[in-house]
Amino acid sequence: MTTTSPYSSTSTSTSTPPRSRFQWRVIDIVVASVIGVASGLIFVVWNIASSPVTAPLQALLPGLQALGGGFWLFAGVLTALVIRKPGAAIYGEMVAASVSALIGNQWGALTLVSGFTQGLGAEIVFAAFLYANWRVSGAVVAGAGAGLAMAITDLVLWYPGSALPFIVIYTIAAVIGGMLIAGVLSWLATRGLAATGALNRFGAGREIAKRV
Amino acid sequence: MIPIASVNPVAKLGAGLLVSVFLIATIDWVSATTALVLELVVIAFMGIEPKRFWLRTLPVWVAAPLTALTILLYGRYDGEVYFQFLLIRISDGSIELALATFLRVLAIGLPAVVLFISIDPTDFADGLAQRLRLPDRFVLGALAAVRMVGLFLDDWRSLELARRARGVADRGRIRRIAGQGFALLVLSIRRGSKLSIAMEARGFGGDTPRTWARESRWGTAEWLTLVVGVVIGVTATVVAVLTGSWNPIVG
Repeated sequence: MTTTSPYSSTSTSTSTPPRSRFQWRVIDIVVASVIGVASGLIFVVWNIASSPVTAPLQALLPGLQALGGGFWLFAGVLTALVIRKPGAAIYGEMVAASVSALIGNQWGALTLVSGFTQGLGAEIVFAAFLYANWRVSGAVVAGAGAGLAMAITDLVLWYPGSALPFIVIYTIAAVIGGMLIAGVLSWLATRGLAATGALNRFGAGREIAKRV
Repeated sequence: MIPIASVNPVAKLGAGLLVSVFLIATIDWVSATTALVLELVVIAFMGIEPKRFWLRTLPVWVAAPLTALTILLYGRYDGEVYFQFLLIRISDGSIELALATFLRVLAIGLPAVVLFISIDPTDFADGLAQRLRLPDRFVLGALAAVRMVGLFLDDWRSLELARRARGVADRGRIRRIAGQGFALLVLSIRRGSKLSIAMEARGFGGDTPRTWARESRWGTAEWLTLVVGVVIGVTATVVAVLTGSWNPIVG
């Protein structure tokens, strides 16, 4: 198993100066897009399934349905964990939101606003860790950031008439859902992907390769 | 008949956003109803087949009453309280807010679906990169991925057949779908990696300035689309302010 990608060795041998670890290679862009689009298709399924699935939660405690909102938050965290570049969380979440909006959903053009804020929530956390924490702790905090961003966006855009208990429960549920689904699940998925060898040309894959 | 299909996708997206901005600023039934009526008039002239219209807008019709129900049960209370159970409190205030929410979701969701069904991803990418000047590497990378959706579906079918042949297809449906989804993600990342090498081999992502095979046009029709969006939003706001029901969400 090689530890340097054939790509980076050819690009540094040409006239271009060596790349910084924060620059996007073509493979980063294409694979981030693939992850974004695949996540967008999952969003489309969840757009329709979420209401009936989370209805019992809502009946249990109003606002608890935001737990399931985590399934709209994982795209940004997952993309960032795989690609490890600045802007990856925003980009992944935006591509997924665009797919969701173009196929058609109840939030219309505002899907893109949600996608941006949710991606930004995760991005700010990864940036605060100086794009150096890709462990489970970073993933969970980023998921919480995305969840908080989702709660703020949803409460302002869609539930402006709600009462205080609903606001509090919705926010807490969104953060927990973000931590578990967007954080832990994305981290597990990244580790699984790395173990298959599909990420050998990414930092996320090389780490695992060294350990084996 | 309005030839909406040929309008630049960026303009359609812009019009959808412009209407939404006016509608989310307030929560009242007057502005939402005004916008909804105007939108339905415009949509009626777009010549969409009724079957296609209902099928594509179905998620909006499902979501609108559910969102309204949430507000009805847990909305801010005001006036007479009709029913109370734990955190549920149905009052004059929450009924009015729920009605406004219902109409607002329809007024934001319906035009977006109708505008977006005619968007071709390639035209959209051309518009984003050439008109909005978004970074072309990212826009075209995303387009390449969107165009792989057809392959995703083929892969999904092959995976299903392979599992059936191995005799592991019929039990544990939810677990199987999760496992198959993961396998699909692995396949698509591998394919994406290969695709990126092919793209680079053809000079994608190089230093030379990019030229475009298809020019993304922007003319009167595009400006008109944006103007219609603004007019609907402004009319809804003015009517609501004049009738005294405009109710801003902040403050």
